[in-house]
Amino acid sequence: MAEICLRGVRKVFGGVSVIKGVDLTIADGAFCVFVGPSGCGKSTLLRLIAGLEDINDGSLSIGGADMTRVDPSDRGVAMVFQSYALYPHMTVRDNIGFGLKMTGHPASLIEERTRNAARMLRLDPLLDRKPAQLSGGQRQRVAIGRAIVREPEVFLFDEPLSNLDAALRVQMRTELLALHQDLKATMIYVTHDQVEAMTMADTIVVLSAGCVEQIGAPLDLYHRPRNLFVAGFIGSPTMNILPVTAASADDGRVVVTLPGGVALTLRAPDVPRASFDTGMRLGIRPEHLSATGMGDATLTGRVRLTEHLGSETLIVVTLPDGAEATVKADGLAQARPGDTLAIGVNAAACHLFDRDGLAILNGDLRS
Amino acid sequence: MFPTPIQKAPPWVRMAYPLLLPIALIVWLLPLIGVAVTSVRPVADLAAGNYFGLPSGFAGVENYTAVFRDSPIGLYILNSFKVTVPTVIGAVALSCLSGFALAVYRFRGGTVLFFLFVAGNFIPFQILMVPVRDLTLSMGLYDTVTGLVLFHVAFQTGFCTLFMRNFIVGLPFALIEAARVEGVSEWRIFRFVVLPLMRPAIAALSVLIFTFVWNDYFWATVLVQGQQAMPVTAGLYSLNGQWVAAWHLVSAGSLVAALPPVAMFFLMQRHFIAGLTLGATKG
Ligand SMILES: Nc1ncnc2c1ncn2[C@@H]1O[C@H](COP(=O)(O)OP(=O)(O)O)[C@@H](O)[C@H]1O
Ligand SMILES: [Mg+2]
Repeated sequence: MAEICLRGVRKVFGGVSVIKGVDLTIADGAFCVFVGPSGCGKSTLLRLIAGLEDINDGSLSIGGADMTRVDPSDRGVAMVFQSYALYPHMTVRDNIGFGLKMTGHPASLIEERTRNAARMLRLDPLLDRKPAQLSGGQRQRVAIGRAIVREPEVFLFDEPLSNLDAALRVQMRTELLALHQDLKATMIYVTHDQVEAMTMADTIVVLSAGCVEQIGAPLDLYHRPRNLFVAGFIGSPTMNILPVTAASADDGRVVVTLPGGVALTLRAPDVPRASFDTGMRLGIRPEHLSATGMGDATLTGRVRLTEHLGSETLIVVTLPDGAEATVKADGLAQARPGDTLAIGVNAAACHLFDRDGLAILNGDLRS
Repeated sequence: MFPTPIQKAPPWVRMAYPLLLPIALIVWLLPLIGVAVTSVRPVADLAAGNYFGLPSGFAGVENYTAVFRDSPIGLYILNSFKVTVPTVIGAVALSCLSGFALAVYRFRGGTVLFFLFVAGNFIPFQILMVPVRDLTLSMGLYDTVTGLVLFHVAFQTGFCTLFMRNFIVGLPFALIEAARVEGVSEWRIFRFVVLPLMRPAIAALSVLIFTFVWNDYFWATVLVQGQQAMPVTAGLYSLNGQWVAAWHLVSAGSLVAALPPVAMFFLMQRHFIAGLTLGATKG
């Protein structure tokens, strides 16, 4: 059992607060992804869990045991570094077995676990090579092998795939997930890539500037972002954010005035009437706008540019008040820059954010 | 920043290069050539004032035999080894440890300590002459090999620590962190992760300190008087007769004395490997 529990964890580097009070519980056996823009403190948070940085304030427990002040070597976690950090003077075999050997495990056990890990990661033919003779993907697998043989309850990965090319990255992604299925250990995975987060995680922790913005399952974050930051960070292409004025109407409805004066009625049964205001923002994902103009309301704009991705077409449209919106249309869409386009809005998929950027209404299409 | 490769230089530079290079080399080596030529000069040349001209005959065999016959140069060289080898081992071993500590750990006063090591290098050692001599005398180490070794180790460790610390700082710190997370003790991290990667630094520093201590003349004369502890640099002086300077013998002795550092360089050469940390990081 290795549930990880952080309570009010803070970290200050030379007067600069980098982690500003994180409360987080990661269930045993979870695949948890920390995601956020570069510099938001993901690595720092991971290193706090590993024990490579001291926690200034708050507490950390792993598997029920308090680990706040415990040395990294005694935490029973394995970490895969972004730079791999392979011992350059040792062969792959020695790299993988080094930790076990140094902690006094018998040679037969080291041999057996190394062999198993090598088979699992397809490193068998490379065992006698030095790291310098390996490709990036192979080094990556050695780094993972080094973590596996210790059979830890917790794995920590710091952007392990960011040095690989796109094809290898996709392949390693599935391999890591298979590994998680096999080992059933708790894994924490850091990335700045929201696609990686969405595809791999069972729990995503969105971080921004040292604070947790939202914790949840990938689809929960997609359908019910708690604030503008999460709404903008999760999903690709990013959610359209339009300035609107909202006024409550009868029987739990709200009337939103879109750019260009178009009115759109949203169902908001559980939202107090007083929350509606001017200066609000409406969020709607490109995939919930329709280039055919069919929908609960129709916006009209001028096409600024189109991106043909084959399976789909992204159309960037300038709206009457200067705001821009991206529409995801099917791959055969004919729109050209300069055309006038009618855009249909799906009311059920609209999110409404107040002046502070907090969501007061989530258009969750699942419900 | 780097010199242009000669292949890419203008034609006149390329023409002049093979001509000027040997000349520059010869000018640079003139003192050494002078000593080498003097070491095979017959005595008569020096008596006649023929210091820099062509030798009137070849007296190499006599001179070099005389060096070994007329002076205990064998003992002196042995003394030099007895001083130099322990100094190199002591200073390099100590500085590996202190360099590791200063590079890897952040502790109160660490920076101050590091600057002390650096600042120590700027003290002109001549001003230490009297206090160090008094110290060795009062410790009963005056005129002993041990005294010289202790002093040299103390004095060289400052520079060595600076060198080693900077080398270790240049190693990928993630290697140390990776080992820590794997549960490896700090001593074993030093022994099995850091030390093997320091091989080029250890080799370079060993050659440097070996040459430096071997060539030391100042402390050899300050801290030693008798033959039994005299290193070869100071001992060579005894080849001069009481009344006449026997420069041909001193030259021959100097060349003999200069051989060990050269040998040391070639011995260590294969350890000067660049890029030992290749493959530790990135794809
Ligand atoms: N050892 C350190 N000393 C000072 N500042 C640091 C240190 N490590 C990280 N930081 C700062 O903390 C912030 C978060 O860093 P990091 O956790 O590496 O971000 P990322 O989310 O990109 O992994 C950055 O602004 C970085 O400059
Ligand atoms: Mg990072």
